[in-house]
This record gives sequence, structure tokens and C-alpha cells, in this order.
Amino acid sequence: MHAFKSSPADKKNWYKLDLSANVYPTLQRRNFSSVFRLSVTLKEPVDPVLLSEAFTRTIPRFPIFASAIRSGLFWRYLEPNPRPLPTVQEDISNPCMPMPFKSNNEYLIRIYYYECTISLEAFHSLTDGTGGLYFLRTLTAVYLRLKGHEIPNGHGVLDITQSPPPEELEDSYMRYARSSFRPKRSQEKAYRLRGTPEPFYTLNIISGSVPTDALKAAASRYGASITEYLNAVLLYALMQEQKSRHPFREHPLKLALPVNLRRFFPSNTMRNFISMVYPSIDPRMGDYSFEEIVVQVHHYMRYYINNKFLNADITTNAYIRNHPLIRLVPLFIKDIFVRQFYIRIQDKQSSAGLTNLGLVDISPQLAGHIDHMEALMGQPFSARTNCAVISFQNTTVINFASSIVEADIEKLFFRKLVRDGIHVKIKSNRFIEEE
Amino acid sequence: MSYCVNCGVELDPSLKRCPLCNTPVIHPSQLAQKDTQARSFYPSRKGQVDTVKRTDIAILISVILVGTAIACGLLNLFVYRQNHWSFYVIGACILLWIFFTPMLIYSRLSIYLTILFDAAAVAAYIGIVAYEFPKTVWYTHVVLPLVAVTAGLVMLYAFLRRKLSPSVLASALILILELAVFCISIELLTRYYLEKRLYISWSAVVLTCCAVIAAALFTIITRVRLREEIRRRMHI
Repeated sequence: MHAFKSSPADKKNWYKLDLSANVYPTLQRRNFSSVFRLSVTLKEPVDPVLLSEAFTRTIPRFPIFASAIRSGLFWRYLEPNPRPLPTVQEDISNPCMPMPFKSNNEYLIRIYYYECTISLEAFHSLTDGTGGLYFLRTLTAVYLRLKGHEIPNGHGVLDITQSPPPEELEDSYMRYARSSFRPKRSQEKAYRLRGTPEPFYTLNIISGSVPTDALKAAASRYGASITEYLNAVLLYALMQEQKSRHPFREHPLKLALPVNLRRFFPSNTMRNFISMVYPSIDPRMGDYSFEEIVVQVHHYMRYYINNKFLNADITTNAYIRNHPLIRLVPLFIKDIFVRQFYIRIQDKQSSAGLTNLGLVDISPQLAGHIDHMEALMGQPFSARTNCAVISFQNTTVINFASSIVEADIEKLFFRKLVRDGIHVKIKSNRFIEEE
Repeated sequence: MSYCVNCGVELDPSLKRCPLCNTPVIHPSQLAQKDTQARSFYPSRKGQVDTVKRTDIAILISVILVGTAIACGLLNLFVYRQNHWSFYVIGACILLWIFFTPMLIYSRLSIYLTILFDAAAVAAYIGIVAYEFPKTVWYTHVVLPLVAVTAGLVMLYAFLRRKLSPSVLASALILILELAVFCISIELLTRYYLEKRLYISWSAVVLTCCAVIAAALFTIITRVRLREEIRRRMHI
């Protein structure tokens, strides 16, 4: 009879999905989930028992990370998950595997360990890279405290004895979407890389570690920031690739670049708060030299990445979600339309994705235990390659994740860095034989 | 410490080839030495995605259908004994079970086999009705060929969808053409059953409409500007 009674835990809070979180569950397929990974490599091997204990202690501070996704009649929502926490697992060779909502005790995060590395994988509806980094830094600090080290709170490490303030759980998009003008969006198709698809659940990673100071020096030689420079290098690689494969019918080249909106709109939210911009070049107008690409990307980013344009962009999204007719449409019909819109328009708008999480702010006490950090975008929706960049102290790790056999973009990208005088150290999970 | 001779990047000691250009890493002075590979930064264990079990809902559907079939069978046997009415209900339960269960239990079944099973189930169900009215040949002359034609058209659509992965507009074109074929089959088969002369009358109207729509769709698909305009306006 117990099953017929509702327990007090069922009456807890629930959260609406934030604006960008709504799209990710719609795109969920048997072989695709929007999952990203953040890793921290310590200077000593990880103890799984202590890590598991640290995970249990950390999770109450981050209620969003302990939620399950549910389908309502009109929208999906997040609900506190009363089930036992997922176990901390030994790492696998194919990270960012699809995450069916009903598996893993219905949790949308996974914690892995391998030798000295702790990895967090999260479904993108829960949080973005910034929220994930807060969780990972706090988890690492709690783990190291259990090992007997003194790690203070602050610099991204949250106090696990406090309860989470409401502003960490808010949907900041709705708070800041205030523009009275909603700009139209470009719907022009970008060049799409075609490659040989890998078998089910394979994710090829090529990771390049570069010294941050050398990268910064190279970028400033072209008068650009690191993000602008890396964007330009990736566009340059894509341009060369398109030239060699399709010399007679060229398309514009566009990158999908998420921008952290917390830089422009004060917010402490642990949920998604990003917007996309699309730095692009159009080779149909003529050949670009690398310097020209840098100038183009530099000016594009200075022009578009400010609170006015970004606000207008999120207002467009908020308008669509708040439209009374759209709200009335049942979820399964919304799913069909959103999925088709994404497959036929949104996904075709960018040639590759690039995200730069920037220099991670870490206290000196915690930094003393960390060797480096990595970010991984996870499996791309269509056959292409995605790039995630993260810097810790003087090491910047550039991780390419793709589900195709060819590594031409990665080759052109890293060769350009080498030619600009940057020392690149490559590691990869390609050629690793399965046990 | 090894560098790729092609790319100029430093390679992790665990790598035997450059992952960028596939060039092997060879140390000239260590050719004779036994191969000692450094441990990789990445693990070698491959993860498996959990399969989501949908057997619960399949069991629920099966229990409901079996319960309905048995209850109606018993009622027909002992209470309302006028005719074989429970055959229809039991047949419908079997039909529904065949429709739903492959989706829930055995999802790896080939799509063509699934369509074949579904068509066989529909034919068998109408066969029950034909068994109740055995005098005429409508079952063999109209129903069976029509079910076969429908199954063939659905299979053809599935085949084209898989091989060509057509756009929404191209799918619409295929469906319109199939609709025309379907209507012509209905008319010809009913005329054959009624032993009339074989020619098309009302289906000619359908055929004309389908031809006009198909020609319009074909023009839209082949004209890039027109296609892009339609795609933008209709978000397809």
C-alpha cells in the first residue's frame, strides 16, 4: 500500500526550464544528448571513496544538479530527485555519452574519476559551463578537504554549509529580457563539414595544450584577444578545408560562439545564462588572408557583444516563449516544430562550435593541488567538430570533440598555431584499443 | 618527447601516431628496442548507454488487451450467445497488440518486417469479418490486394525516406504521388470486383489534382530561390 501514499518529499519545489534549456531535451535522440564535460586533473591520484563522499556532501548546495527532468502538458520542468545519488564511476573512453532521462536514477549528471582526473558531465538543461565550473571547483575543494588539506571558500568554491540563495536558482533570462525591439535573425546556411560518421557512441577527442602567455602574445601580435584569435584560426582552418573540398561552390563560414551573459548582466544564477553569436566570413566575396579574418572577427565581436545586442537577442527568445498561442500548444507538438526548426535552420547556421570558458578563477590554496583543467563540448548534433577552450594558470587546453573519422580541421587549426610560434602538445583518445 | 614531423606539434608519449595527420612516431635509435608504450591520459574502458526499459508499459498494454479478449470471449461463450461477436473484439486486441508491442518491446525489428506484420494483422482482422460473411468474394478480390498495395506503398515510402533522406517538400511530393497510385488502385479493384469494364473515372480527378500539386512541388524543389523562400516562410 505504500506506493499509493505520497511522501513529504514529493511536495517540494519545482523549476521551470530556463530559456535556452528548453531546446536541449527536444533534441534528445537515442544517440544524442546535449552533454558537456568539465575535468580537473589533480597532482595526485583520486580516491574514489572520498570523491563519492565529497559528492554526497556537495550536492545539497546545488539543488539544480540534483534534479530530474519531467514532461508536463505544455513544457518540461525540473523536479528535485528523491532517488539515491548516482555512483562515482571510473572514467570511460567515450565521454559525453547520451544521457537518457530515465537512466542513471534519473539524474542528469555523472561524476567520473580516472587516475588523477575528476570529471563532471552535465546535461545542458541544468546549467552552462559557468555553473558547472562552480560545482566542479566546490566538489574538488570538498574532496581535498576530506584528504586533509586546508581549502578556503571563495574563488568559485561555495560554502556547502549554507543553503542555496534563491538568486542562484533563478532564470536570469526572464529578468533581463527588456528590449522593446526584437531583431530578425539571419537564416543563411553556413558551410557544413561532411565527414565519415563514426560508429554509435564514439567521440573522438584531440586535445592540444598550449602555454597561455604564448597564445596571448600571438593574439596580441594580430591586435586581438585570445577568443578572437582562436575564432579566427578556426575560421581559417574551415576556409582552407572548404577550398580544398568544394572549390567551386562556397558557402559562408560561421562559428557558433556562446557568450556568458553574466559578464553583461549581473547575475549569480547557476543555471544557463548564455547567448549565441555567430562570427563569420563569406569566402564568396573573395579570399581572406588570416589577418583579414582576425580583423573581421575582432570587429564583429566588438560590435555585437554588448548588453544592447545581447539583450535584444534574449528578448526575442523570451517573446517566443511567452507568446500566448505558443504557450497553449501541447508539448509534443512543440517538440516536433522545435526539432524541425533546429535541424533545418538552426543547425545549418554554423559550421562549427567554439566555446571559451576563459581563465578559471581559483584560490592559490586550491590551485596548488591542480595540474590542469579541461572542458569538452560533447557530441555535436550533426557530423562536425566542436571546440572547447579553458585556461588554468599558464596552460590553455583546446579540446576538439567530433563524431567523424577525419581530423582535417584539427590538423589545420593546430598547424596554424604552430606556425604562429605557439608550442602545442597533443593528446588524443583516437587509436586507443578497447579493453 | 616526440614531435610530429608533419605538423610540428609535440605528441603525448602514449601516442604511436600523430592523431592529426596519422604519421607514425618513429625514434630512429629505438627501432630495435621492444615497444614500451606509456600510459594514456584517456581510459580504455568503453561506456555503454543504459537502455531505457519500456517493458513495463508493454506489459500493461498486453495485460489490458489479454483481459479484454478473455472477458469478451467468456461473455460470448456463456452469456450473449447470439453470434460470434467476440471474434471482432479478440481480433481487434490482437491487431492492437501487433501494432504496439514491436514499438515497446522489440524496437530493433526491421521497419519493413514491422510494416509486413502490421499489414498481415490488418488482413487477418478483416479476414475474421469475411469469415462471418462467407458468401461473396470481396475479401479476396478487394481487401487483400488493397492491403498489399497499401503495405507496398508504405514500404516504398520508408525505403525512400531511408535511402534519400528527403526534405519535407520532397516527402510531400512522394506522398502525393503515392496517394494518386492508391486512389487508382481502389477504383480499379472495385470495378474488377463489380465485374465492370476496367477504366478510371473519379480517380482521374484525383490523379489530375495530384499531378498539378506534384508538378508545383517539383518546381519548388528544383528552383533554389523559390525553395529557400518557402523554407523561410514555413520554417521547414
